[in-house]
Amino acid sequence: MFEWVKSFASPRQLSQAGVLGMNRRNFDVISKYNPRRLYPLVDDKVKTKELANKIGINTPHLIGKIEYQHEAKNILELIGNRHEFVIKPAQGSGGKGVLVIRDYRDGVFTTASGRTIGYHEVYQHISNILSGLYSLGGKYDTAIIEELVHFSDIFKDYSYQGVPDVRVIVYKGYPALAMTRLPTKASGGRANLHQGAIGVGLDIRTGRALRGVCRDMPVTRQPDTGADLMKIEVPFWREHLMIGALAYEMTGLGYLGADIVLDAERGPMMLELNARPGLAIQIANGIGLVECLREIDNHYPEGLSAPQRVDFVLNKRAK
Amino acid sequence: MLKKLASVRGILSILLLLSIVYAAYGIYYKVSYWGFHFTPRQSANIWTIEAHISFEPTGEPIKVALTTPRSSDAFKILEENVVAEGYKTSKNKEESRLVLTSAPKVDKQDIYYKIMLFDNIDTRGKIKADAPKAPKQPIFDEQRLAAAKQLLQLAQKQDGDAVSQIIRLLNEEPLQPAVQAYLPVKSTQQIMVEIITDLLSLKGIPSRTARGFRLEESKKALSPDLMIEAYIDGLWKIYDIKTGKKGLPDNFVLFQRGGQSLIDVEGGENSVIKFSVLKSITSSMKLAGRRAELFDQQRNFQYSIYNLPLAQQNTLKWLSIFPLAILVIVLMRNVIGLQTMGTFTPMLLAMSLVKTGFWPGLLCFAIIMVLGLSIRFLMSKFNLLLVPRISAVVIFVILIMQFLTVIGYQLEFNIAQSAVFFPIIIMSWIIERASITWEEDGALNACREIVFSLIVAIATYFVISSEYIRHIMFAFNELNLVILFIVMLLGTYTGYRLMELKRFRPLVKS
Ligand SMILES: Nc1ncnc2c1ncn2[C@@H]1O[C@H](COP(=O)(O)OP(=O)(O)O)[C@@H](O)[C@H]1O
Ligand SMILES: [Mg+2]
Repeated sequence: MFEWVKSFASPRQLSQAGVLGMNRRNFDVISKYNPRRLYPLVDDKVKTKELANKIGINTPHLIGKIEYQHEAKNILELIGNRHEFVIKPAQGSGGKGVLVIRDYRDGVFTTASGRTIGYHEVYQHISNILSGLYSLGGKYDTAIIEELVHFSDIFKDYSYQGVPDVRVIVYKGYPALAMTRLPTKASGGRANLHQGAIGVGLDIRTGRALRGVCRDMPVTRQPDTGADLMKIEVPFWREHLMIGALAYEMTGLGYLGADIVLDAERGPMMLELNARPGLAIQIANGIGLVECLREIDNHYPEGLSAPQRVDFVLNKRAK
Repeated sequence: MLKKLASVRGILSILLLLSIVYAAYGIYYKVSYWGFHFTPRQSANIWTIEAHISFEPTGEPIKVALTTPRSSDAFKILEENVVAEGYKTSKNKEESRLVLTSAPKVDKQDIYYKIMLFDNIDTRGKIKADAPKAPKQPIFDEQRLAAAKQLLQLAQKQDGDAVSQIIRLLNEEPLQPAVQAYLPVKSTQQIMVEIITDLLSLKGIPSRTARGFRLEESKKALSPDLMIEAYIDGLWKIYDIKTGKKGLPDNFVLFQRGGQSLIDVEGGENSVIKFSVLKSITSSMKLAGRRAELFDQQRNFQYSIYNLPLAQQNTLKWLSIFPLAILVIVLMRNVIGLQTMGTFTPMLLAMSLVKTGFWPGLLCFAIIMVLGLSIRFLMSKFNLLLVPRISAVVIFVILIMQFLTVIGYQLEFNIAQSAVFFPIIIMSWIIERASITWEEDGALNACREIVFSLIVAIATYFVISSEYIRHIMFAFNELNLVILFIVMLLGTYTGYRLMELKRFRPLVKS
C-alpha cells in the first residue's frame, strides 16, 4: 500500500520539475495561443496539405479525395496505374482508419502488414471513412488517397514493422521539444504511444536520443529488435525543425505538434499537424514543458523569420 | 494571462460565495417557514380531533361556548370547522373560544367541532406568565385541615419538586393509610385535580386545571385528560396528575387551560361533550403550503416548484439530482483524470443503475457488454457499413434484453426488470466504441476505458441513488446554484490531475 502511494509524485515535485499538466495545458496554453477558428486548418488533412504546399512544406502528394458515397466506386480510376498508396480519413486521429497499400496488382491489394484484400474491402473502407466512423463525433468525413511514403532505412532497426515518425512541439514558432515514436510489436506497428509504441526524446539542437519511454516507463532498448535506442540520431535535423517552424507561420497556432516522417528520397515530410499535442513527450525527454515554454516566453526574441528561429534554437548553447 | 485567470477566478469565487450565502438563507427560510426537513421524512401525521357536543334545549335562546386550541409552537392547525345547523358561529380570538348562538330549539341538539392539527412537537410546555393572585385558601374543617397538613408533611419524603411530591404521594402504590383516609373511595380525574389544587393552595402555590388530549388514535368517544398547571418561579409548569411528571407529554394537545370551563351551554341542559381522535398521514411536503400560509409566506410558496402538480414535481426531483452527478463527473475527469467513453455516458449508466438496482444492474451490464462485444466481433468479419452495423448492434442489444428478461423470469431471478432499463442506444454505442478501441488500440485500452467508465458510473450512482441526497437536492434546490459555480470554478483548475501524479512521476528529479 505504502509502495503504491509512493508511486505518486506530489504536485509540488511535479511543478518543481516543470511538468505541464493536462488542465494547465488546456487552460493556460491552448485556450490562449490556439484560437478555435484555426482548428479546421489542422483538423482537416486536405486543408493542411494545401496550406503546406503553398508555404513550401513537403507532404505526401495528394492523389485524390473522395467526398461522397457515390464517388467511392471511382477509386480505381483515381489510383490509375499506381501500385502503392495510402487511404486515410481527412479528419482522423490516432492513426485510426489509415489503410496503407504497399502493392496493388491485378485487382489485389496488399496492405502494409502483408494482408491481401480485394476491391470490395477497399470500397468498404472508404465507405466507413465517409460515414464518419473514424472522425471525432462521427461527423461525415472525406477520404484522402495520398502517395505512400518510402521510409528511410535509418530507423529500420529501431522499429517493429510500422513507421516511426518525429513529433516536434512548436511554441510561438520555436521548436521546443522533440521525440521520435517507434512502433513495437505491442503497438501493432503503430506509432502511437498509448498503443504501446516507444517514445524517444530527442535533443532539440541535435536530434540525438536523450532517453526512451514505453507505456510511461523508461526503456533503453527496442524490445523487439534489441537495438540501442540511445544511438538514434535523426538526420536532416534542421529540415525537421524547419517544418515545425513553418507550420507556425502556416497556421498561426502558437502551440502545435508537427508529425514528420522521413522519406528515403524526398527527405522529411509533414504528415499532419496537431493543435492539442499530448504531454507524453515530456516523459520521453525527461524535461517539463513549463520550463521550456517559460524560457521561450522570456528569453527568445520575437519577430524572427522561420529560418532565423530554427537557427536560434540550433545555436543555443547546451545547458 | 495569470492576471486574467486570477480575475476570472476571483469573479467566480465571489459568485460562489454569494450563491452559498443565498443557499444558506434559502435553507434557513425553507426550514423555518415551510417546515422543510433535512431528512427525507416523507410523511407527516395529521391529527383530527372531533368534539361532539349534545344537550337538550330548555326553550331559551341558546349560546354554546367551547374552548378551542390555538396554533402554538406545539402544533399547527390545518383546518377547523363546525357542523351546527341553524347556529350562528363566531370566534372569540382573545380567549380562543368558539361561540355558537341560535334561537330557542326543541329537539336534542348535536354540534360537531372538528380540528385538524399537524407538526405536533413536544414542547415540554413551560409558559412564562405574570404572577397570579395568591391562591384562595380552601374551606376546610379543622379535622380535614389537619389531615391535609399531615399529607403535605408526608409528601416531602417523595421525589421531585413540591408539586410532583404531592401528586406522587396521592398516587403511591400502595397508598399510605393517611392518604387513603384522605381520598374519597371512588376518585375521578376531576376529583384528583381538585384535591391537588387544594393541597397546593394550602402550600401557597397557585395552580389551575388544563384539559387536552394525548394524540393517540382512538375512534372511541373519550373525554379529555386533565392536567394541572402550577405557577412556580414565574412560570406555569404543567404536571401529569397520575405520575407527577413535569412537562407536556409527547403529542399532547392542550384544549383549554386556566379558569375557563371547557364548555358552557346556555339555554340547554344535560350537556355532554365527547371527543374522538383520529390520525391520518400525508406527505410532509404537502403541508408546506399550509405552513407557508401560517407565516404569511404563501406568495413565495406559490411560485416555488413545490406548488406544482405532483407529476411535475417528481420529474423535477429527478432532474435536480443531475447537477450533483455532473459535478462528480467533472471531478472524476478534471481532478482525478479518469478518461471515460463519452463525457456523460457514465451518468446515463448510473441513471440506469438507479432504476435497476445496483447488483442486478451491474450483472445485466456485464452480460450485455460481453454478449454484445462477441457479436460485434463476429460481425466485423462481414465488413458492414457504419450505420447499418450500429443499427444491427442496436437490434442485437434489444434481443439480448429480451433474452435476459425471459431467462430472468423463468429462473425467478429479478433481472427481468433490470435489462429493459438500460438505454439501448447508449449500450450499442458503448459496444461499438469499445470494439473499435479494442481493434485499434488493443484490448488493454478498451478494457481500461470500460472500467473507468464503470468506476465513474458507480461513483455517480452512489451519489444519485441516496434517498437522503436526493431529498436535500430537491428540497433545497438553491444548492444547485452553488454546484453551478463550483463546476465553473473547476473549469479554471489548472493543477495536476491525480492520475498525472503517477504518470509524470518519472520526471521528478531525485
Ligand atoms: N502517406 C503515408 N505513407 C505511409 N504511411 C502513412 C502515410 N500516411 C499515414 N501513414 C501511417 O499512418 C500513421 C497515422 O497517420 P496520420 O496521417 O498521422 O493520421 P492520424 O491523424 O490518424 O495520426 C502514420 O504514423 C503512418 O505510420
Ligand atoms: Mg498521427
